[in-house]
Amino acid sequence: MKTAESLILVTILQCLCMVVQVQAQTKPLSPADALEVRKRISDASKTTGSLEAQFTQTKELSVIKEKIVSKGNFYFKKEKLLRWEYTEPFPYLIIFNNDKIFVKDEDKENHISLQSNKVFREVNNILIGAVQGTLLSDTKNFECNISDLHDQYLASMVPVNLRIKETLSEIILYFNKTDYTVDKFVMREVSGDYTRIEFSGKKINQNVPDAKFNIP
Amino acid sequence: MFQMQSLIFLNLVLILFLSACDPVKKSTLSTSPENSYKAPAWNSPFLKDFEKALFRTSLDVADKHLTGISIIKRTSDSSFHFTFANEIGMTYFDMEIFRNKYKPDYIFDPINKKSFLKILQRDFAILFFSESPGKQPLRKYLQKGSGEVVYLYLGLKLYAWMDTKQNTLTGLVGWSNYVDAVIVSFKEYDHGFPNEIRIVNPKIKMILTFNFLGH
Repeated sequence: MKTAESLILVTILQCLCMVVQVQAQTKPLSPADALEVRKRISDASKTTGSLEAQFTQTKELSVIKEKIVSKGNFYFKKEKLLRWEYTEPFPYLIIFNNDKIFVKDEDKENHISLQSNKVFREVNNILIGAVQGTLLSDTKNFECNISDLHDQYLASMVPVNLRIKETLSEIILYFNKTDYTVDKFVMREVSGDYTRIEFSGKKINQNVPDAKFNIP
Repeated sequence: MFQMQSLIFLNLVLILFLSACDPVKKSTLSTSPENSYKAPAWNSPFLKDFEKALFRTSLDVADKHLTGISIIKRTSDSSFHFTFANEIGMTYFDMEIFRNKYKPDYIFDPINKKSFLKILQRDFAILFFSESPGKQPLRKYLQKGSGEVVYLYLGLKLYAWMDTKQNTLTGLVGWSNYVDAVIVSFKEYDHGFPNEIRIVNPKIKMILTFNFLGH
């Protein structure tokens, strides 16, 4: 009996420690501060005409405790031009060009119209919104909470749109406190899995050629 | 005596019935000249020392073309875990496969159909759990063109293709009736594991392709 009680006590203490650790890491912002951070992110987004970076994407599989890591290059240009160029573990390319999507894998090319494909339209909105930070003002689809995390601001986006809710339970955006651009974002799925996309070597407002977004 | 005749008759009917359901075109095979059909021991590359592997994966079924990365992990002597997600990381399938059942952890809604998942489970069971049985095959053929040896295990409703020079399993065909066949092919073996695995299910017009990325 004593052993069982000890086990329960240890478990409770461990849980308390975890809660304290999480709380110590993030500090919720006051409404006024949250408003100020939103404004700065919005201002940064307005002045960001283009963005170029490398990315590392890690998908964490909760059930089997495994990871899938992909890497590549990322290009964004206002208003709605996006190029995800995967280089590892194999080449794969997605170009979002306004209302069109072009996907190229090893031997297949696929053209998709955003107007006719709701799923891709939502993916497009989420990716562009996450990169630009405009997802924070998408109150129709997400409930947003901002907190302070050392050298970053963390925006937790919980979907309120039923269609998005079916797949995603939360999107977390991490904004750099220096330039208010996105350092990384995490997409938590309802399955418990999550995908983390981290940017490195960011180049803001450098000359990204339009040809990068051309759809053949 | 009468009972014996009935038994022989029943067996004959059963063999004829099973043969009638046989999905393999005999015109592509030539009969082995040997009288006895001793087959070497063989097994699926997912048995023996297999732990886990990462694949570039594509699934074509009905009007859907899904691509991405999958992990197949052996979780026990009688189960494998299959997770398939698109390139951006969104999960299509997350399920545990057993010999006779499956346990879905998450299935992408547009493909979450019980009948489809049951077929997929059966196809995976043939891919994961097939190995040479204790009994010798009923027939031995040679594949025209490639020269691969083909063994027919009628009781198991299974054909196995072997490259006898490399001593590797190159294909499997399993079926429960004529319209319910699955064709599995293993290509380009490297260090005992195929670089490409393809599952074709003609009934539902499904092609599932795995290209090995790493263990």
